[in-house]
Amino acid sequence: MGHFSWIDGSIVGVYLLLTMAAGIAVRKYVGKVEHFLIAGHQMDLYLGIASLAATEFGIVTCMYAAQNGYDKGFAGATPGILYAAAMLFVGLTGFCVKPLRDAGVMTIPELFDKRFGSRVRWLSGVVIVLGGLLNMGVFLRTGGEFLVTVCGLHVGYLEITMTLLLVMVAVYTILGGLLSVLVTDFLQFIVMSVGLIAVTVLLLVNVGWGAMVKAVEMNYGAGGFNPFVNETMGWPYVVFNLMLNLAAVMTWQTTIQRLLAAKDTKTGQQVYTRTSFFFICRFLIPGIWGVAALATIPAAALNGNTLQAMPMLLATVVPVGLMGLVVAAMLAADMSTDSAYMLTWSSVIYNDILGPFRKSKWSEKRGLLWNRCIVACIGVFLLIYGLWYPLKGDLWTYLGVTGTIYLSSMSTLLIACCYWKRANNWGATAAIIFGAAIPVGFLVIEQVPATAHIAKVIGPYYSGIATYLIAGAAMVVGSLLKPCPRAQ
Amino acid sequence: MIHWFWAGLTGAALLWYSTVTVYVAVKGAINIRDMLARLSKENEEG
Repeated sequence: MGHFSWIDGSIVGVYLLLTMAAGIAVRKYVGKVEHFLIAGHQMDLYLGIASLAATEFGIVTCMYAAQNGYDKGFAGATPGILYAAAMLFVGLTGFCVKPLRDAGVMTIPELFDKRFGSRVRWLSGVVIVLGGLLNMGVFLRTGGEFLVTVCGLHVGYLEITMTLLLVMVAVYTILGGLLSVLVTDFLQFIVMSVGLIAVTVLLLVNVGWGAMVKAVEMNYGAGGFNPFVNETMGWPYVVFNLMLNLAAVMTWQTTIQRLLAAKDTKTGQQVYTRTSFFFICRFLIPGIWGVAALATIPAAALNGNTLQAMPMLLATVVPVGLMGLVVAAMLAADMSTDSAYMLTWSSVIYNDILGPFRKSKWSEKRGLLWNRCIVACIGVFLLIYGLWYPLKGDLWTYLGVTGTIYLSSMSTLLIACCYWKRANNWGATAAIIFGAAIPVGFLVIEQVPATAHIAKVIGPYYSGIATYLIAGAAMVVGSLLKPCPRAQ
Repeated sequence: MIHWFWAGLTGAALLWYSTVTVYVAVKGAINIRDMLARLSKENEEG
């Protein structure tokens, strides 16, 4: 199965060579840690838009957005609409992000240090890295499975292919840091965008809008168009995703890193407002691919694994030549995501987890060496965890839980830090603990046979909503419990 | 009515994305050039 030929292989090869050359070429501009981690605050508006869009669209996003389209119809694009609304709101108002950028920090925990102390900064760093690395752990395997299906690779080549890809990404990320990431993101944005648009037009022409709408109507009725009446969604799904996406816009490290790297606060906010509509495209375009798969791929062919519906469709519909562009586009999406994510977690480890242990100021050379070593270690972790350790369970639930481990508490801390004078380290610590314990606890009871039925009754959306509310309550209660310092 | 919402949103998404890709490609290339020039100057002065 699949139309992947030597022509397609050549297209992919040329793209990979160009990306590597560009990524390595900019390493000579890296003179300080600040250049490595946040491009020396020199990132301008349009580069910021391209980088943010490329980073936040990976193969994993494409896969689960398409799966949403297959499983829920057009209503499956609801998270993208909510994300865009949240980003537009935050960009226009500067809610939390303005004080954050004005502070001139490199990471969010660095801001918390100024307000809540070094222990909260350290704890925040640990929670962020824990949630972030576990979240990222699935990227390689999911990307590999996509490539195997679309290109018709022998499944035995999966691990070695993804290892080689990760090594290529690691090379330019280690050498050039965020500068390399920005430049390669820019190239990858162009390739990715051209591929996405081309495939979408091809599917609309070949499958037809009418056939897609009919397939959704037949399978899901009104629920395929309206999330509030969809049996698997409803208002809890919408509310949970609104909370999740608002928290992500304010505190998801890869997103906020673009804001922190902007040359000034105004540019940072503009990056947000002008990129916001992209997040509708991010869910809707692959969602359309999923709906097209619903209209063409019989359910029996999937063996219950709807995640494979879209790759199977692409493998059969996309012709030679365009297939090379599609694979290059998906590789572009994946590489930009992997490089940015590796760098962002490395910046938190260096800045916030290891920071308290640095007794004296390090030289730029030493700082750069440490950052590069951390990125390399993250790469090794991803290989071991992502490729060689078989992941069990539903992909979206896994991403939602690992994300909420840190998003719930970090968004609470950020809001309190920016707008509530009474907030203190007691409240911050309580919010971090509850914000991590509840989603992890839910995941555990979901897996244990004796308690699985309880988890099913509660469901992931009510659990998620409760996590955000309880983290907020913990911040308030904890802060109020701490005695006020005596007036001098 | 709701079908038209999704049709309209899909059309808007494709049109916006196509336009932005071209615009960002041109402007982004200029941004990269200027960014690298500023960093180069900073490294020379530093």
